[in-house]
Amino acid sequence: MTSFQSTLGEEEGIADELAASQREISIAEFFEKNKHMLGFDSGARGLVTAVKEAVDNALDACEEAGIPPDIYVEIREAGDYYRLVVEDNGPGITREQLPKVFGKLLYGSRFHAREQSRGQQGIGISAAVLYSQLTSGKPAKITSRPKGESQAQYFELIIDTDSNEPEIKADEPTSWDRSHGTRIEVEMEANMRARAQLHDYIKHTAVVNPHARLELREPGTEEPLKFERGTDQLPAETSEIRPHPHGVELGTLIKMLESTESYSVSGFLQEEFTRVGKKTADKVLDAFRDRYFGREMAWATPDSLDAEAVVTAAVSGKGSDATETFAGRVAEALDSAGRLAHHELVRLVADAAETAQESTGKTFGDTVRANTVDAVWTGMTAARVDAAGRRVDADDDAEADDAESVLRAPLVALVDDATSSQKDDAVVTGLAERLAADVAGLDDSRHRLTRARLDRLVDDAADRMVEFDEVTFGDTARENVADALWTRMATVPDDVPNVSEVAGDRDTASSLLEAMRGTDILAPPTDCLAPITAELVEAGLRKEYDADFYAAATRDAEVHGGDPFIVEAGIAYGGDLPAEGQVDLLRFANRVPLVYQRGACATTDVVKSIGWRNYGLDQPGGSGMPNGPAVIMVHVASTNVPFTSESKDALANIPAIEDEIELAIREAARELKSYLNKRRSMQKRREKQDVLGRILPEMADKVSAVCGRDRPDIDGALARIMNNVSVEREYDEGAVRLVVENHSDRTEELDVTDIVSVEPADVPDDAEVVDLDGEWFVKWTPSVSGGDEAVLEYRVSDSDDAEFDVNVDGVETEKLTVNA
Amino acid sequence: MSDTQQQNTARLDEEEARRQLLELAEEFYDQFEAGDIPEMTLPTRTKSNIVFDEEAGVWVYGDRTSTRSANSVRGARKLLKAVYAVEFLAQQLDEDRSSTLRELYYLSESWDSEEAQFTSQDESNQLIEDLEIVSGVTREDFHMRPEESGAKVMGPLLLREQTRRGDREIHCQDDVGQGGYQIPNNPDTIEFLDNDAEFVLCVETGGMRDRLVENGFDADRDAIVVHLGGQPARATRRLTKRLHDELDLPVVVFCDGDPWSYRIFGSVAYGSIKSAHLSEYLATPEARYVGIRPQDIVDYDLPTDPLSDSDVNALESELEDPRFKSEFWTEQIELQLDIDKKAEQQALASQGLDFVTDTYLPERLGEMGVL
Repeated sequence: MTSFQSTLGEEEGIADELAASQREISIAEFFEKNKHMLGFDSGARGLVTAVKEAVDNALDACEEAGIPPDIYVEIREAGDYYRLVVEDNGPGITREQLPKVFGKLLYGSRFHAREQSRGQQGIGISAAVLYSQLTSGKPAKITSRPKGESQAQYFELIIDTDSNEPEIKADEPTSWDRSHGTRIEVEMEANMRARAQLHDYIKHTAVVNPHARLELREPGTEEPLKFERGTDQLPAETSEIRPHPHGVELGTLIKMLESTESYSVSGFLQEEFTRVGKKTADKVLDAFRDRYFGREMAWATPDSLDAEAVVTAAVSGKGSDATETFAGRVAEALDSAGRLAHHELVRLVADAAETAQESTGKTFGDTVRANTVDAVWTGMTAARVDAAGRRVDADDDAEADDAESVLRAPLVALVDDATSSQKDDAVVTGLAERLAADVAGLDDSRHRLTRARLDRLVDDAADRMVEFDEVTFGDTARENVADALWTRMATVPDDVPNVSEVAGDRDTASSLLEAMRGTDILAPPTDCLAPITAELVEAGLRKEYDADFYAAATRDAEVHGGDPFIVEAGIAYGGDLPAEGQVDLLRFANRVPLVYQRGACATTDVVKSIGWRNYGLDQPGGSGMPNGPAVIMVHVASTNVPFTSESKDALANIPAIEDEIELAIREAARELKSYLNKRRSMQKRREKQDVLGRILPEMADKVSAVCGRDRPDIDGALARIMNNVSVEREYDEGAVRLVVENHSDRTEELDVTDIVSVEPADVPDDAEVVDLDGEWFVKWTPSVSGGDEAVLEYRVSDSDDAEFDVNVDGVETEKLTVNA
Repeated sequence: MSDTQQQNTARLDEEEARRQLLELAEEFYDQFEAGDIPEMTLPTRTKSNIVFDEEAGVWVYGDRTSTRSANSVRGARKLLKAVYAVEFLAQQLDEDRSSTLRELYYLSESWDSEEAQFTSQDESNQLIEDLEIVSGVTREDFHMRPEESGAKVMGPLLLREQTRRGDREIHCQDDVGQGGYQIPNNPDTIEFLDNDAEFVLCVETGGMRDRLVENGFDADRDAIVVHLGGQPARATRRLTKRLHDELDLPVVVFCDGDPWSYRIFGSVAYGSIKSAHLSEYLATPEARYVGIRPQDIVDYDLPTDPLSDSDVNALESELEDPRFKSEFWTEQIELQLDIDKKAEQQALASQGLDFVTDTYLPERLGEMGVL
């Protein structure tokens, strides 16, 4: 260290020398060094990221224009490189904007908008362009045809890495078979090692965008992967919102204060923030006053105060009648007033002066009013009283020794209320007396204190007491006392500083920010968000996964840092999903699948922290990823999704968001649980049915053998054992009887369709006959309560050839015994 | 009773037994036909469901019942096994053959239904007991016998037994060896012809029985010595009851001085929980306990062992057992818990081999008014 310093001292001009090597870093150079941050750390991953960025942009563009997206992705080998083509049917990009959109990093429409969208920073697609240009040296070829244009425009672009500006290599009109849309073609150094991730990305995109049609062509496969549309319903249009008062940082606030056109803070708040009207603005301002000016302590008028006498003494030269009237008014008002802070007393005296003025004609000016206020305030707060509460004059030596501050009694009561019952009287009075002395000794005789000063005051008093009285007075007790005092204090009516004053002083701005954060304000509106909705989450899963069971849940919007967010979860279970190994976790943010860094994602942490055994999934060790044939998907939609890095692969661990993720997953998981429970009980029922279905016939055979009688009919017994619903046919020379017996303990609604080969007759009113090409469908929907039976009777004309085939719905097959 | 008459009665009993068994199968059949779930209702066989039958002076099952229903897989299996067992027993009666409980267990292996096969011998034993209860026919009448046959009798008694090789007249001292007369599985095939006995002495252990026989106790005191051999077989208990009822002989029981032996006495005198349905047929409520009493341990200063935990539990459970709710037993059991000791019958040998026959038994039996 020393040697280095001596070098510094010896050689002059080192700063100049250093300055010579200090220069601006171009954004492109920065990118080159930090490719990994943007998801371009390897050829395999770069390809996936490029596809992802291009597809995200395409989806955003289509949705904004209200067009159901139709997106074509093609990857082809091109010599040593890979050529990536992404085409959409979006609204197209104007000739002026296009070069910047693709050829300039950090250019975009999304960064400043509080609205849910896939892209946020304006890095993605231009980063892909930059990556291809850096690896293959070839320009990006972009064709775009804005809706309504007769021709498309073709560009070849590279990014000037020094200036971060697009360099246009070609710009010419061209013809294109799409009526509108954008096509981008880039060549890059890449490989297909991340094919699985690529497929995941495309497939998962299809899951959360059931309104989109996707097609992927890639080398090595004959047929393209196609994902058809599952719904025509586009996601709800989102609207941009102003920032929420809970979500701004100090720097942002100051910037907003500097640029606003409002003069007053109230106007500023209502103008620039969402969810702030007059009422909320007033609440924020009061909170701001508390922080900026402090509050004033309010005291009750003590019995010892002879208001009339005190006021009379303070007024001079107004004549005895007028003085008496004024003093009477003041005393009266004091009587009916509760606790008063200094500013309230000022107003009270002013009111009394006005009324006295009206009735007496004498003017009670500022001086009189000020004297009166001082005299009364002194009587209220600075007087000394004896044990009986009588005022003691300072010059009355005989009694002055035992006299106490007039503030002592109310403070004792307050401290006693605020502390636990275990504090004995000596401690309570000890603290109250010290507080009384401290308050009386305040520089500001109005007893005006900020919360911080109040805390210090209580702390000081408590510290001294601990030191001298050798008692304990803990932090909680101190806080309680300070809280009790603070609630008793009154917000002052002083005018708050205007916008430019707040903007000009960092501390003041900080007080305003605290006030904004400390005020309860309605959560931001959610029309800036477009959740997939539980219904479409399920539809998406259904479309891409062949499972037995699907559940989905969408939570209500919540706020994190002023940005609203909505969490949705879906679960698919069983069917063709692989039963071995861990469940599949699909993570989404603003409808974009997250395919990398699963382990670093808050979503993964939440899934691992849930006790899945409760929900019927296998979970080795009771924590971690569950096992089984299931897919769990989580979608977080927000105006500002907190990612762990720019490559947007993993959600950051924000407690508010994690809580919602957990609740959403649990909501869907509860449905899974009841499904699995039911399935299990059905399985047990099936097993029981299997075993009994074997045992009882054997028993019947044996019984008939032992008794030497015909084999008994055991269907009735079987149905009853299984709490079953049995449907039985009796047929006698053209008379058909279908008997439904419900042996369960609840009502069953059945759909019985008897398909008859000849025309039925005498069909009762509660059944319906449909003639279908020589077959007659007798439809009957009986409701049979537990333990009851229902009968359908009809006749068939030709009893010899009649064939019957009964089909029963509405009852689970496990519970149904059909013998007809 | 003449020979032919005896034969006819037995034959009739077999017919009756067969009919009763088949009735059970008929019942299942009818239940099936009516669309009902086949079931079989039995008294609950636990300690809490035995009550004292004042008239008969024995403990029988109370009114609590359990139902074996084909409603559940377990119940259905039991009923299936029951039907197979009924078929087998009916056939056995038809062919006038007999088998042991253990044979039944193995025999089930040959049944065509795997579900009907027994998984343990406890299961088949219990099933036979169930069938006894529902049909009201004893298993002896089903021709089912336990693996180990009844115990032995020694004493001045002349009887006639129907055997497969015809009737035999046997004197239980003169016609038998040192081992005594072997009680057959169904003692109802015995007819008592004559006796010189004063009383019946049931002895728990083989060692003590041999001691009494060697010392000539049966001859000297005109005692019929019945060897119980641990928990007595039903044949032994039935014979004891018949000796008491038909020959009007007082019955006394001589066991070890521990809780398990009291239970042996209990099953002789009051009937066992498992076979309470047969108490009237098996139990001898007039039987009295000679010893070893806890009181004897104190009075004769017998060598002892300390009570184990399971002994203490058994004693405490006996205090709760309705069969032992008498003044005598409460007093003795509480004394034993108090002294925390138990003694075997053989402990009497500590005062000489003849002490039991010369001193202990005469003294005790004298006190009890038997001698």
